[in-house]
Amino acid sequence: MQGILTSLILVPLVGSLGVAFLPEERRDLIRLTSMLTAILTFVLSLVMLGNFHGGSFHFQMVEKATWVERLGISYHLGVDGISVWLIVLTTFLMIISIWFSFYVQEKVKAYMALLLLLQAAMLGFFLSLDLILFFIFFELTLVPMYFLINIWGGQRRAYAAVKFFIYTAAGSILMLVGMIVLAWIHSQQYGMMTFDLVQIQSSIAKGEFWAGYMQLQAVIFWFFLIAFLVKVPMFPFHTWLPDAHVEAPTAGSVILAGVLLKMGTFGILRFVLPLFPDVIGQFVVPVMILAVVGILYGGIVAAVQPDVKKLVAYSSVAHMGFVMLGIFSLTHTGIQGGAIQQLNHGVSTGALFLLIGLIYERRHTRLFKDFGGLKAQMPIFATLFLIVMLSSVGLPGTNGFIGEFLALWGAFQAGMAGFNGLNVLIPAIAATGVIVAAVYLLIMFKDMFYGPNDNPENQRLKDLKPWEIAMMAPLIVLIFWGGLYPNTFFQKMDASLSAARLMAINEPGQRPMWSDLTHEIDGKGALVQVQPRKTIKEFVPIREISPAKMNFDRNETVLQAEVASQ
Amino acid sequence: MNPIFNQVWWIIGLPLIGFLIQCFFGKRVIEKLGAATGKRVMGSIAVLAIAGAFGLGLAITQALAQLPFDQRFVQVTLFDWIKIYSLSIPFEVRIDPLSMTMVLVITGIGSLIHLYATGYMAEEPDYPRFFAYLNLFVAFMLVLVMGNNLAMLFIGWEGVGLCSYLLIGFWYKDFANSLAANKAFIVNRIGDVGLALGMFLIVYLLASNQTALGINTTRWLSYDVIFEYLPKVLAEQPMMATAIAICLFIGACGKSAQFPLYLWLPDAMAGPTPVSALIHAATMVTAGVVLLNRMQVVFAASPIASAIVVIVGLFTAVFAALIAFGQTDIKKVLAYSTVSQLGLMFVACGAGYYWVGMFHVITHAFFKALLFLGSGAVIHAMAHEQDMRHYGNLRKYIPITFWSMFVGFIAIAGVPLTSGWFSKEEIIHDAIFSKLAVLGGVNIGNAAGWLTFGAALLTAIYMTRMMMLTFAGPQERWKLIPAAEGHGHPDHHHDDHHAHDHAHHEDHGPDVHGFFYSDEEMATKNEVHDDHHHHELDETHTPREVPVSMWMPLVILAVFSLGAGVWLKGYKQFPTLPKDTLEKWLEPVAYEAAKAHGGKHHSPVPYEHLIAPLGYWIGVAGIVIGVLWYMRGLPKSEGWDMSKWNPFRAAAREQFGFDRSMVDAGVEGGGVLGRFMWRVIDNRVVDGAVNGIGLLVAGFSKGFGALQTGLARTYALMMLLGTAGILGWLMYATGIFGGRG
Repeated sequence: MQGILTSLILVPLVGSLGVAFLPEERRDLIRLTSMLTAILTFVLSLVMLGNFHGGSFHFQMVEKATWVERLGISYHLGVDGISVWLIVLTTFLMIISIWFSFYVQEKVKAYMALLLLLQAAMLGFFLSLDLILFFIFFELTLVPMYFLINIWGGQRRAYAAVKFFIYTAAGSILMLVGMIVLAWIHSQQYGMMTFDLVQIQSSIAKGEFWAGYMQLQAVIFWFFLIAFLVKVPMFPFHTWLPDAHVEAPTAGSVILAGVLLKMGTFGILRFVLPLFPDVIGQFVVPVMILAVVGILYGGIVAAVQPDVKKLVAYSSVAHMGFVMLGIFSLTHTGIQGGAIQQLNHGVSTGALFLLIGLIYERRHTRLFKDFGGLKAQMPIFATLFLIVMLSSVGLPGTNGFIGEFLALWGAFQAGMAGFNGLNVLIPAIAATGVIVAAVYLLIMFKDMFYGPNDNPENQRLKDLKPWEIAMMAPLIVLIFWGGLYPNTFFQKMDASLSAARLMAINEPGQRPMWSDLTHEIDGKGALVQVQPRKTIKEFVPIREISPAKMNFDRNETVLQAEVASQ
Repeated sequence: MNPIFNQVWWIIGLPLIGFLIQCFFGKRVIEKLGAATGKRVMGSIAVLAIAGAFGLGLAITQALAQLPFDQRFVQVTLFDWIKIYSLSIPFEVRIDPLSMTMVLVITGIGSLIHLYATGYMAEEPDYPRFFAYLNLFVAFMLVLVMGNNLAMLFIGWEGVGLCSYLLIGFWYKDFANSLAANKAFIVNRIGDVGLALGMFLIVYLLASNQTALGINTTRWLSYDVIFEYLPKVLAEQPMMATAIAICLFIGACGKSAQFPLYLWLPDAMAGPTPVSALIHAATMVTAGVVLLNRMQVVFAASPIASAIVVIVGLFTAVFAALIAFGQTDIKKVLAYSTVSQLGLMFVACGAGYYWVGMFHVITHAFFKALLFLGSGAVIHAMAHEQDMRHYGNLRKYIPITFWSMFVGFIAIAGVPLTSGWFSKEEIIHDAIFSKLAVLGGVNIGNAAGWLTFGAALLTAIYMTRMMMLTFAGPQERWKLIPAAEGHGHPDHHHDDHHAHDHAHHEDHGPDVHGFFYSDEEMATKNEVHDDHHHHELDETHTPREVPVSMWMPLVILAVFSLGAGVWLKGYKQFPTLPKDTLEKWLEPVAYEAAKAHGGKHHSPVPYEHLIAPLGYWIGVAGIVIGVLWYMRGLPKSEGWDMSKWNPFRAAAREQFGFDRSMVDAGVEGGGVLGRFMWRVIDNRVVDGAVNGIGLLVAGFSKGFGALQTGLARTYALMMLLGTAGILGWLMYATGIFGGRG
């Protein structure tokens, strides 16, 4: 499948350019072209998914070419379990976004071109294995989003767009500095610069990279982390999000909530866990505290919002807090939960923004005081809203439950064991966040759908049209699929996430290496050495390098302590 | 293994299929066949789905009973729900006496209540939606009791909470109903968090001792794993048993409406009466007792937690009974009575007699479902008026309802030989003799057992009050309500339609696709079924007996309310009947250590000779007191509550101020906190800091005069300054300039 990753980036890019050259007045042609591009990209991503083998943590379908040799910059793409579902989510949500954007009437050409450009940038972001390439795509996502908010946004769009831009860019500057320092350290240790993630990670895993630079590691850790915390967003870096969401057009909000926020958590899984193994443990507690604050703070503030879109925006702060809670528990269950929660949040919150968009196109208001009693007026709309709302509440059987449950589970295990100095109170307090979630989401549903339908403006509203239902249907299916059979998703992610975790918590020499194809994660989560092989699909273990260490087994801990003391 | 066990999934599947049929075809069928026929068809499908599950449940119970005594446990796995390296949670069913008992209660009483609902909801335009929710509820409830792991229990636990939420808010146009629905869901969620934390604790204990215990599975939450390994850990760490038990009990308090989380249940009466009978009396609210039965292994290991369970249960039982005296709404009386009876079940469980808790669950399911359905029949006959102050002398008009309700009444009051008498007597007796719930040397169980006599007395009195006010007396108080001018529909909407013209239309922007707004006719059509009350209660009203679909379930339930005690327990005067049927049936699920606290041979306790006569006569005494008290009915001219008991009644009506203070604290306090966080912290502090930095940079740029204003330039400058500053600091900090080496 050589070249499929490049084509995943190129197809939307070419589509974007193609749309830009179409005449503005041929709106239907523009829409058709964009839609076809999005569908083609989605199909490509499905092909990629079909060829992806979940049993290995290594990058697959890798493409590599030298770019700037002197500085060690290369064009390096690859996909692993951490990125594979995010890529599919991106291409999938883009179809829905473009579909919904048929509502857009102004400057259709620019709108569609920007959406496709955004898609190319997002896919490039998830696929990059070179730090500079990654940074370029990271910055490139800002530009289309900035214009989408600034041109097609609401009343305070300029403020929101600039705020969005400055926040993210300020964070990314820190990250750029961090990347340059990484390359510089590499040149100090090995005599040549490189921005290649795989190469840097390998030397970190061996314990050579940071030797002599331990203090710097802590600094660079925060540089990367803050860039991603802004993106997630975590309290107190979150205030750009409500403004951006409220002002952004619907498709923008869907992409923002569905994909752009995941760039933060993805970045943490891709960079922060593997690259800073020696210091991450000491910063787990502050990050977890921020996550808990975000969960409760986002929820409580959401409950008093007068605008439904702002409510959902604040709920994102709370939900992404659970993702962070799971990942930074550094337990296997927690990281799995955090990773699946990212996907589920993308689906559920994306669907919520779409539904809000549907009612906004009808009523041109999103204030709760303008609604009430819509259930009788728009029964199908109300039913869809109910399902999506319940998924956001985290009801078992919907996808929202799986992520929250496992993230809390992992955080609780880590807290009980005192892993990295965690206290069990942190996850216990975080768990009360699910009560708050019920509060604000039920208030939202009550204010919109229950009570008498006494606003004359609402009494003539029609229910959803078939094409609108068709647009929502795949999201509803995903909500139940994710809730009833999440194994579909776990099967592709498990090995890569386990490896990322072991990269962060194991001692040098026992850390998995992306560059070393003789390392694999076996069926129990242990790191094993395997025989040399031709394909990535099968491996024959030779010996265990590191046990699974899933559950803070007291006996295992005692054994390790004994080994260490000898 | 008997092949029928593999069909067990149909027990859950049938109600689920029923739900889907109602969802996708209900409306269409009713439109096609017309309201009357369509409703009959859809109603029958709903009833058949549950009745089918009941039939299958009976067959499987039969098959289970044929197994040898100590092998009555069958596990059927469907597929892996969550499977990752560190854990595995399959969809698996546990067929054992406890789960099958609950299956029979749920589907048996469930099908009767479904049948009743086909009559009760006959005039409801949203008929399929009601039965969809009701079927879905049964499916979730079955998942709760049949699952073989705590995660499946949790699915059912939250699922029934959802259905409860949907059904309380079924008549959503009344804002009060949706508030009650929200309250139920949110208060339940508090309990759910407790339950989840309890589960996490169990997982931690098992997983952290994996090697020591030699556990070679990752199904941490499956009952078979928990039952086998958890006792070994708890033996070493008894405090953990208390911690887990308290967490789980918080969950049980939420679902089973124990103090202080009982708050939602009285409000839940906003739902249609069949819902109150099925969900808020017979099945869902007993989930907490089922949980305690399942997790005996934890509770029996912790005397402290058991004592807490007893104390909370007893306090709730008395507290709710007192509140019931202040209620004038017939359903509210029954709601508080349910809370009170649930308290008694927890007294039994806390005392270590888990099967007795189940015994009361079963008998209570019969007589409380009966009482609720009876109250529904009364409400139906009284034009949806629920206030007992407008009732009186109804036994003359609706005799079948009266007599069946009378049976339920003597059962709950504890008249000897009725089912309620058997289970209540068993609770009191066993609590007095129990030795589990000991806190600081005091046998809490023993004390609670004696005090439970008081709760039983109160129960008999307030139930007599309810029956007297509703059915007795010469007064027919609804005749005091003057007839209104023309039975009006609240049709305030209709004027609005005419006022609404196309000028409004333009306000929300051009309707570009031309399909957002409908024309006037459609709007009116949507508003047609605005009101389900067809006429008001006034002096012209004549109560009529309910149709057969409604009184039939009443009669069947009455039979069981009378006979279930003799059937399940046996009585010494009837030597031919089997004895202790239920206790023996449930023995395989009883945990060994829990059995040690019970047993047949009690050691003597003080005043032992008083137990039997008190148990015999306390219910009857309560009825006598109640009859004497309420014989005169209500004073006509003075209105309600003008006796010397008025202050007490007023306080009881307001739940002694508890509900108000909790809700105010939650809603008002939460609102203030939320607005503070939003307007002050978010908008001033955090944004203020950021905007301040921005302004500072902008000020610089103005000061230098080299840059024009403009955010992009500001940003560029900020980036430059920031980068330079960070690089400088970095170089200093890492000693690139050789400063620190």
